[in-house]
Amino acid sequence: MKGNKKIRVLLVADSLGHSTGYYVVAKGLREAGIEVIMGGFQTPGQIVESAVQEDVGFIGYRIMDGAPDVLVQRLMELLKERDVRDIKVILGGIIPPPIMPELRAMGIEGIFTPGTKISAIVDYINSKM
Amino acid sequence: MFKEEVLKEIERLNSEHESNVKEVLKRFSIEEEELKTLSGLPLKPVYTPLDIKGNDFLEDISFPGLYPFTRGITPMGYRTKEWTVRQVVGLGTAEETNERLKYLFNQGQTGFSVCGMGYQPYESSDERTFGILGRGGVWIETLADIETLFDGIDMSKISINQIGFSIPVFAMIIAEAKRKGVDLKTLSGTIQNVVLPIGEDFEVKGNGSVDIIEYCAKNLPKWNHTSISVRNNRDEGVTAPQEIAFGIYLGAFTLESVISRGLDVDEIAPRISFFLSSENDFLEEVAKFRAIRRLWARTVKERFKAKNPRSWLMRFHVQTTALNLTAQQPLNNIIRSTIHALAAVLGGAQSMSVNSFDEALAVPTKASATLSLRTQQIIALESGASNVLDPLGGSYCIESLTDQLEEKALDILNEMEALSPHKCFQYIKDKGNDACYTRQKAIDNDEMPVVGVNRFAMEDDIGEVDQWSVDLLKYDPTWREKQIKRLNRVKKERDPQKAEKAKKMLEDAYRDKVNIIEPMIEAVQAYLSIGEIVKVRERVYGPLNMDHIMGCFFGV
Repeated sequence: MKGNKKIRVLLVADSLGHSTGYYVVAKGLREAGIEVIMGGFQTPGQIVESAVQEDVGFIGYRIMDGAPDVLVQRLMELLKERDVRDIKVILGGIIPPPIMPELRAMGIEGIFTPGTKISAIVDYINSKM
Repeated sequence: MFKEEVLKEIERLNSEHESNVKEVLKRFSIEEEELKTLSGLPLKPVYTPLDIKGNDFLEDISFPGLYPFTRGITPMGYRTKEWTVRQVVGLGTAEETNERLKYLFNQGQTGFSVCGMGYQPYESSDERTFGILGRGGVWIETLADIETLFDGIDMSKISINQIGFSIPVFAMIIAEAKRKGVDLKTLSGTIQNVVLPIGEDFEVKGNGSVDIIEYCAKNLPKWNHTSISVRNNRDEGVTAPQEIAFGIYLGAFTLESVISRGLDVDEIAPRISFFLSSENDFLEEVAKFRAIRRLWARTVKERFKAKNPRSWLMRFHVQTTALNLTAQQPLNNIIRSTIHALAAVLGGAQSMSVNSFDEALAVPTKASATLSLRTQQIIALESGASNVLDPLGGSYCIESLTDQLEEKALDILNEMEALSPHKCFQYIKDKGNDACYTRQKAIDNDEMPVVGVNRFAMEDDIGEVDQWSVDLLKYDPTWREKQIKRLNRVKKERDPQKAEKAKKMLEDAYRDKVNIIEPMIEAVQAYLSIGEIVKVRERVYGPLNMDHIMGCFFGV
């Protein structure tokens, strides 16, 4: 990323349902000095649009109601189609461990399930800057 | 409750005990620390009659089945009516959920509780259902889906719980009961409905939640038309007194709204039910159930002047907390949920759902759902905990905590009553947001112990769930295709003229702001989809505000 620009994260969710974790993560990142754009519930297509428009470095994707493998695959395809190469995708939520290798193969490094410390997410983001 | 001279002697012994404790602590060089409940209420190392000396047995405790119902709402408790075993189900299309339901009924489940029904205001073919449909609940969009959902299930014999309060889904359930010839007067169930003070255009006329209550009061005498759900608020990490206060506030707000439409409190209150959590702090939770039951009885009797004793009764369903379930060492969650469930039984719950141990990782499998069912059955049949009514009642500690919780909740209620209803709703939301963040920080900095997370953590145990022999449910992407086909078939097979007429009729009903339930039943009987119904509604009310999850779109 360029210069001392503040880190910007687009935080999105796969549904409108229970959003406790989503808000906790947002608050935690902000407290760590990271700029958070609250995208709310968006489809993979909408996420790509918002990420490009907002010029973010990271997409934080909360998946609780949906199937992570299906949604992330679509998201990664669309990012590629738009030729977006420098945005990193981070996952949080209900992510079944058996599909984690599949997700990692799609290029997702940061996967944070319940029980994650907020500082772990912050450290990960900082390490990727 | 105690003689003056006895209290004096206890007081003497109490101070003796206290100085003994101090000495022992000193000898073992243990620092004296202030004990608190999970909600922050002061706890003492030991309780005596001194802690409840202001208590009046007849007025504050009394007998089960007698006002103020601290000890339970019926004289015989679980001896005459077991709690309803009502595990939440909701996966795939109506077919998959129907199959899971029938399986659970065969295994001894006694109530129906389905999530996901009508949550989304669009059709299955919408782009927004991609990768989602059928994972966070069952997908229901037309009456045909409800027919499949209830296939082979005797609606007259079970109690049906609708999670969320989608009006089209509610209408579909009624339509299905009618089709099967079930007398509506005997149909028993609950809709997770509550009147919320939100939305810019909040008013009682044209308010779907009030419509549901009015309709049920007249047509469905055995249906709980209201289910005050504060369980999800509690699961954001708010305190027990907040859970009580928010519940009583929303219950009172619902009563006031319906009364302003001309109904009498005694027509409505007997069918208001509550949906509560059961959290980690075992003793506090048992006391919480007692305190909220007492406070509701007092509120309905004293503030609303209800005369029918049934109006005073607080009946509640418990879903054990999910907030405290961990992805790490997932089998630990079985133990957690068992403790939560036991607190609910000792607190006198009418109905219960125990979370499955794999819920922090995936949608429960058949095996994990069965284990939740067995947890309830073991408590009911083996533990002996349900034989005596309110067995912890009379404990100096539990009675003292019950009093403190009620008092603290009243303070919060007073604070809330000074605000406008809109502000109150925001207040509830804000408290939830603050609480979950504070809680997360307390876990992150090890202040709040969570076994397997910040105590006794094991290296890399999430990545190796296999070592815990956990088999997780895999999402089936064909559910979506199957559902889209179903919807197309329904639209092809329905009477097109009837469908068009129904749309027009429904639009008029929305415009005239008549009670929407009867017209909605007619509309779903014409096999209109929820997506179509939402479009009709939008012609009158404009686009749905998708932010008001619990307001507009659940209750379309």
